[in-house]
Amino acid sequence: MIEVKAISKSFKRRGKKRKSRFEAEPSTSGSIVHALTDVTFTAENGMILGLLGQNGAGKTTLLRILSTSLKPTTGTASFDGIDVLQNPLEVRRKIGFLSDNTGLYGRLTGREMIEYFGMLHGIERHSLKKRVDELIGLLSMKDFIDKRNDTLSSGMKQKVSIARTLVHDPQIVMFDEPTTGLDVVASEAILLFIESCKQKGKTVLFCTHHMHEVERLCDTVVMLRQGRICFTGTPRQMLEKTGQTRLDKAFLALVGSGGQANA
Amino acid sequence: MRNVLVVYLKELREVLRDRRTLIFMFLVPTIIVPMLINLLIGFSIHMEQKARTETLKYAVFGSEYLPQLGRAFENEQGLEKISIPAPGDINSAIASEKIKFAVVIPQSVQEQLKDSNQVTILLYYNNATIVSMANSRAAKVIHELGNQWRTERLNKLGLDSPQARDNLLNPITIEEHGTANMREILGERLGGMLPYLFIIFSFMGAMYAAIDVGAGEKERGTLETLLLAPVPRFQIVFGKFLVLFTTGVTAALLCLTSIGVILTTKGKEVAGAMQEVIQSINLIDFALVGAMLIPTAAIFASLLLCISIYARSYREAGAYCGLLNMFVIIPAVIAMLPGIELNWITAMVPVMNISLAIKELLKGTMDYLILAGILGSTFIVAGVLLAFATWWFGREAVLFRE
Repeated sequence: MIEVKAISKSFKRRGKKRKSRFEAEPSTSGSIVHALTDVTFTAENGMILGLLGQNGAGKTTLLRILSTSLKPTTGTASFDGIDVLQNPLEVRRKIGFLSDNTGLYGRLTGREMIEYFGMLHGIERHSLKKRVDELIGLLSMKDFIDKRNDTLSSGMKQKVSIARTLVHDPQIVMFDEPTTGLDVVASEAILLFIESCKQKGKTVLFCTHHMHEVERLCDTVVMLRQGRICFTGTPRQMLEKTGQTRLDKAFLALVGSGGQANA
Repeated sequence: MRNVLVVYLKELREVLRDRRTLIFMFLVPTIIVPMLINLLIGFSIHMEQKARTETLKYAVFGSEYLPQLGRAFENEQGLEKISIPAPGDINSAIASEKIKFAVVIPQSVQEQLKDSNQVTILLYYNNATIVSMANSRAAKVIHELGNQWRTERLNKLGLDSPQARDNLLNPITIEEHGTANMREILGERLGGMLPYLFIIFSFMGAMYAAIDVGAGEKERGTLETLLLAPVPRFQIVFGKFLVLFTTGVTAALLCLTSIGVILTTKGKEVAGAMQEVIQSINLIDFALVGAMLIPTAAIFASLLLCISIYARSYREAGAYCGLLNMFVIIPAVIAMLPGIELNWITAMVPVMNISLAIKELLKGTMDYLILAGILGSTFIVAGVLLAFATWWFGREAVLFRE
């Protein structure tokens, strides 16, 4: 189970960042940027929780805090009762994290890369070999697993990334826009895979901009706007609250832009 | 330690598959540097021999006023007389390499000779060419005639014994006793250049690997993945540091070995004092030079790692490394300057102390107490920088710079 309690994250703005016109302006006070303010939610085991919001809404910052890469300014979070601040190493053993921009080591093969992360997770050599072979079979990677990563297609790379994420069989898996830039076939493989995680009783935190994926996968949704939660509930409740019939329209209604980007 | 080893072996495997690192780590110190040194030695020997033995073309004006000198030039072997229109054309003839030198004998020479006065002969040559021996070979001919006249004039004065002539011409003589042996003299000259090479290689050997293990992780998007591994940051930093240290030390030691091999093999071909000097540099001296390079490589590995972790991309890291390169070169070059000696003050200046210590080792005049001080201080600096790199690697503002 994931428990997020009143997490806030502020940092000092360094220089002036040029923002895309489609990116949300975060909340600021002077030179302090409030990336997250008082974020609280819970995700039960075996649940897929969709984390939604415009670019710049604070999703990546929240995922970085949950994955112990960043420390919250206030508040805390825990995974099955293990606190991210008090026991970050233990938390890292329990989580797997996959993002669209988590790259691969180009000069290593897929097998070497998966084994590397397996060893960093403390898996013994014999068990690791078995686990890698299992993942190769599961993700149909036999044909390219011993080729260098820089020679692989985007879909193949994403499969290697998934295997790397799951090598230690984490109980909680976080996906940050995992289908971005992938073709329909590769995207479908990822979505099927996320579904299989749920079936295995894993808790999934799923961050996406594609509402059809939310509709298909998510049991519940947490939506951020300017670093604050603006909606928590099921996708159906999202439609009911906004009076829309489509999730993308409901999303636009909740972010309050009505389809217009921030200036 | 298991995690450090895992990070180290993975980074090393990647580095050994990177062509740029391999070039600087193995190819340049083992093939390119020895080849260049060989070429340089061969070229300088060839140029010096050529300057000494080549036929020099020359022009002479006013030989009718001093026919003896004209004849002396004609009789000198290795000189060939060329006609040019007028003395005003001398400069252009030398610039276009039509002649190597020109001699102008003024009309006043005959009158000056009658009164046994001093005669002035004008000698033109290109003094910009370092290896040219045109002036010395021309002056030799003129001085031979001058010596002959001096003897004749002294004979007229009744000083017909060589001792009496010498007493008059040189009332005081100096008998010099240089206390430095030949190894010290040549070490002073060679010892400036070689440390510079070793230091640069311990830097360059680690540079490309450093860019890859820090900024490369950010640019590829693998850094966040790595940070998710249940491994303390120090162990990740230390694993990465060890790889840079390995590449830097390997490049520097290979360079040292290559130069050692060249000196051993070429030393047999060189004659005289130089051979003696080369043979007097023994294996222990080389081992001590190698020992100096180990903490140096540790300093560079830590510094490069800090820079690489801070940079957002290969390009940015490359620019910072270029800047750092200057800070490495300057102290190494300062140590080459005359008058800069190893003492307890210079021994505390990083990089410069290594350069000066290697020079002293090659000269055979090392104060081993200072050497221990340098080794100690360099290890301390390397340790502090490594601690800084670890702290740096834990900072959110550094890891997630945008």
